[in-house]
Amino acid sequence: MDCTSCDTTPPRPDRPHTFFAHEQDACPACATAVEARVVLRDGKVVHLMRCTACGPQEREVSTDAEGYVRSFLARGVVPDGLVGDHLFKHTTSTCPKCLALVTADVVIRRGQVYFLKDCRQCGPSEALVSEDANYYVKAYAFARAGTQPLKFRTEAEHGCPTDCGTCDDHEQHTCLPIVEVTDHCNLECPICIVDNQYSKHMEPATFQKIVDGLIEAEGVCETIALSGGEPTSHPKILELLAIANRPEIGRVVLITNGIRLGKDRVFAQALKDMGVYVGLQLDGFTADVHTKIRGRDLVSEKDAALAILKELDIPTQLIFVATRGVNDHQIGQVVELFLSGSHFLSLNFQPVAYTGHGGGTFVHDPNDRLTIPGVIRHIDQQTGGKVGYTDFFPLPCSHPQCVSLTYLLRLEDGTSIPFARFIDFEKHATLLRSSATLPATPEVEDALSDVIHDVFARQDEIPRGPEILAALRRSLDEMFPKKPLSSREAFRVSERQSKSIFLHHYMDRHDFDLERLRKCCHHYPQIDGKIMPACGFNMFHRGAAKGPDTPRATFGRAPFSLPVLQ
Amino acid sequence: MSALCAGRIALVTGGSRGLGRAICLSLAREGAFVAFNYAKSDEDAAITVAQIEAAGGRASAHKVSVLDKPGLAELVKSLDREHGKVDILVNNAGYGQVVPLALMEESDWDEMLDTHVKGAFLATQAVLRVMVRQKYGRIINVGSLAGVKMMQAPVHYATAKAALKGFTESLAKEIGRYGITVNCVAPGVLDEGVSDHLPPARKEEYIRHCAMRRVGKLSEAADMIAFIASERASYTSGATLVVDGAV
Repeated sequence: MDCTSCDTTPPRPDRPHTFFAHEQDACPACATAVEARVVLRDGKVVHLMRCTACGPQEREVSTDAEGYVRSFLARGVVPDGLVGDHLFKHTTSTCPKCLALVTADVVIRRGQVYFLKDCRQCGPSEALVSEDANYYVKAYAFARAGTQPLKFRTEAEHGCPTDCGTCDDHEQHTCLPIVEVTDHCNLECPICIVDNQYSKHMEPATFQKIVDGLIEAEGVCETIALSGGEPTSHPKILELLAIANRPEIGRVVLITNGIRLGKDRVFAQALKDMGVYVGLQLDGFTADVHTKIRGRDLVSEKDAALAILKELDIPTQLIFVATRGVNDHQIGQVVELFLSGSHFLSLNFQPVAYTGHGGGTFVHDPNDRLTIPGVIRHIDQQTGGKVGYTDFFPLPCSHPQCVSLTYLLRLEDGTSIPFARFIDFEKHATLLRSSATLPATPEVEDALSDVIHDVFARQDEIPRGPEILAALRRSLDEMFPKKPLSSREAFRVSERQSKSIFLHHYMDRHDFDLERLRKCCHHYPQIDGKIMPACGFNMFHRGAAKGPDTPRATFGRAPFSLPVLQ
Repeated sequence: MSALCAGRIALVTGGSRGLGRAICLSLAREGAFVAFNYAKSDEDAAITVAQIEAAGGRASAHKVSVLDKPGLAELVKSLDREHGKVDILVNNAGYGQVVPLALMEESDWDEMLDTHVKGAFLATQAVLRVMVRQKYGRIINVGSLAGVKMMQAPVHYATAKAALKGFTESLAKEIGRYGITVNCVAPGVLDEGVSDHLPPARKEEYIRHCAMRRVGKLSEAADMIAFIASERASYTSGATLVVDGAV
């Protein structure tokens, strides 16, 4: 199944199986303990293993994939009266002290999910990974086969995560490439996820090679994001954006703290003229929140950025890093802001990952943190149910524990209604495959046709049924006007028909899960040609998993490492 | 063998007389409860109901124009409330008018197209909600040989009937996934109904070209519609079935 977040010309091949989970097993040849990739293939369940002594191995463990999934999910049911931890499964995580890969027991405790780890060197540790065990367990039911890139950058040799870049064992192509074009910044954020060295601005020629490499690997990309550091501090940022602005790429997003946008109208206008999208970091609305998260009061600068984005009608994604006890009380406010502007296309909540120059040392309790279900609860409570807990679903494009989302349809009165209020997503899973917009593939068109007829038939039972039908009709009129649109115009029009709220939980040393990394689809393309899954890069390559000067893994390669892509 | 439409709930547009009445009678005889609408004559509607009931069937008459969208919606709702479903829709409402294009008023054109085509659209849209929900339905549009073959027929009439053929084919594709079949039955010249307007010379010409050497009976077209409305025609959709005695 292709990830439909992107157009598929030329077509990327499907993975030959559905990656499901990781399980402990033993090499069939030498009996050495190895962690197996559990895949569903042709109705069967197979363990794929990479033994250090014997190489690739596989073992069929069930001839009934559906039954296997049912029994797997049943493992997540805690027996009545059980006191203490209920073991759900195992995975591979990291020791939060030495960052060694260690086995983790995934346990359910009082309705929440924890990793229990025991590092030979550093001793035991535990970490909260989900505030809702029910959500966590059920998310596995959303597993879907991934798509592979047209060209892998490395070959699997030693196994995940050492072969990163991406290797042919990786389970998803690059849905979102994030290119860090500079390591300069105009803020020193206490939760910074990267580790700026203030040493490099990427040369346009290098960026050009990265983009060329991406197109070679992917064929087409729905989106490319330029990040940093603060990318607007790059002296040639407009030149880089122009390079990215090519037919194979649907959307060029500049991820920024917005400081320059608010001050430099000419720059903002240039973004507008180029059709660039803005990913605006907006973690709150008050001086204390900004100071705790971004290092200083940014209220007026954020307001200025928001004002120019609205005035110029620049398509915008809001990015809110949600931190327990710091800004979780302002989650509803950012949702309300997001719903208020037609130029806001998506809202991305990122439960904070305690990694990077700032984040690695940010004061936190790994057993008391925000996770995806926790943020969704805040959204529900703080919007009075306008966007509710049950409106969200795991996104099967990545690992289902990585991203949750809801789409909202724009109604004629300017309000929005979550798709889940009128679409049965378990029936129309096709509509959940995408990470941003709904592409005009035959299967999506079929699903949308079903949705239209379903709402039409049940319009008296569905809240605001006639309004939903009117909005769907408006969408059709705008997407298929009498005068045909160019493909880019159609793309722009279609993405304005609905909004989306995403929650993406990046991992850190506490909740790192190799299983999730296996299907990561948010990647950092590097100047040496590798395309690195984001959390693997943050954990093992950036050298800041515990803050500045964290020793790199032996296989780690720092950002901007040579040799430069030829 | 059980009746073709036993237990089914049918809605026939324009059921008070002519072919519409014959369709109602045929469906009722095959076991369906028949609701029909009519626009003008209460007396004719009462006759249809009486004939159905005399034959042991059940029927209800509703004075609602096929161009009255809210009225049609309310009619379908009432059927749904009372019976919990609507299985069959026959878009029959229509009329004939002999007038050459040269003398045709714009209002003639509009009224012909509205009654036949817009009426079918509105009635179909009204029942579609129920049929999609129940994932079952039979929609039969009453076309005409004049909409299929090159014939000497009023241009606006032939145009309207040809439109129903396109309506049938496109709709069959669009909603087939919900277990709804859509077909068109296109009668040739029949002994009553709109053929009453046909000049005798034209009727004789028709008979000369007809392999069966006669015009059809209303019941022969109506019985074909009852068959298409039945479970026996479960894999027939998007078709235009000509009932013309082989012209």
